[in-house]
Amino acid sequence: MTHWQVIRYPAFVEKILIMHELSLALEVTDLASREAKKNRIATIMEIMIEVGNLSGVEADAFEMALDMVVKDTILENAVKKIIRITGKGRCTSCDLEFEMKNILDCCPECNCYSSEIIGGREFRVVSLTGE
Amino acid sequence: MCETCGCGQPDEVTIHDHSQKHDHDHEHSHEHEHNGHKHTHPHSHPEKRVINLNMDILSENNKMAERNRGYFEGKNITCLNLVSSPGSGKTTILEKTIQSLIPSQKIYVIEGDQQTMRDAERIEKSGAPAIQINTGSGCHLDANMIHLALKKLEITNNSLLFIENVGNLVCPALFDLGEFKRVVVISVTEGDDKPLKYPYMFRSSHLCLINKTDLLPYVEFNTDTFINYARQMNPELGFILMSSKTGEGMQNWLDWIRNI
Repeated sequence: MTHWQVIRYPAFVEKILIMHELSLALEVTDLASREAKKNRIATIMEIMIEVGNLSGVEADAFEMALDMVVKDTILENAVKKIIRITGKGRCTSCDLEFEMKNILDCCPECNCYSSEIIGGREFRVVSLTGE
Repeated sequence: MCETCGCGQPDEVTIHDHSQKHDHDHEHSHEHEHNGHKHTHPHSHPEKRVINLNMDILSENNKMAERNRGYFEGKNITCLNLVSSPGSGKTTILEKTIQSLIPSQKIYVIEGDQQTMRDAERIEKSGAPAIQINTGSGCHLDANMIHLALKKLEITNNSLLFIENVGNLVCPALFDLGEFKRVVVISVTEGDDKPLKYPYMFRSSHLCLINKTDLLPYVEFNTDTFINYARQMNPELGFILMSSKTGEGMQNWLDWIRNI
């Protein structure tokens, strides 16, 4: 008896272009459909999304990917507002709070790398506007 | 199964235009004639509403990951998620690990690759039941795939479960699978600057296995430089230098598994 089995995800194969941001954009169309149904909304006019620059999601690529995947979904005609959030870190040595443009940024006071990220990890749907 | 992204959620919402018959509750304006005279009915348009969600886009994945985590805790299963770029030696490390531990430990493996069952076949030969997930063109495993695999694998209590993720240092960093610890594998042929290039993966891992140390004399890989870069990302990260080929460092890795 063989123990291994294959679980296939044929739906993925149909959509050939799956890159990092594209698969995340598909999560957004899915979430929007779910929440629209829950809130009895038939048409979504606007979706507002926050993307932090330390979230692991490239906002420009994500915006492009979202444009690509909305066809034939509830977001097809929605205005997509992408709000970019700049990262913020707190140094674990000197407690200084500072702006993080990059996940590699160290504390500007003591050059310490062990900072805690306190902002910029956002990757969320803020709101849907619809009727 | 959702036909949009294969996420396992039922594709509940159908989208239809207003020319189709549908049953939602707003009235349409229209004019028509009654007994030869024409009038307009009073009508109302649906109100524009703002739904504040503040919802994490990966919240569905995170919820399923927590479910998997609860399953592991309830059955006392130690689950490790192995991540790396392709070709770092994850499968060989797993083969050797299984051969060393299997006499005293029940081990199961979930294998993730875009295509083929090769890795599951290799793992099975080394003695552990394995399930292969083929993601097609997908670039990572998600928590729902693990949930489906767990139903088929029927893991017994008190066992060890390895998840070998799709070879990719980008996407798997964002998808929690419910694992207890995340182990990133790097081989010395990949270069010592990888932590700077793929910081999210190193930041989200608990242990780093530096593999193929038998090749150190032949490649430009400075172990200290690598560890310094990785510690900049993640001061808590642990390191084990090993070669699954020669067996160097294998004992340290086995001890780490036994002690978690």
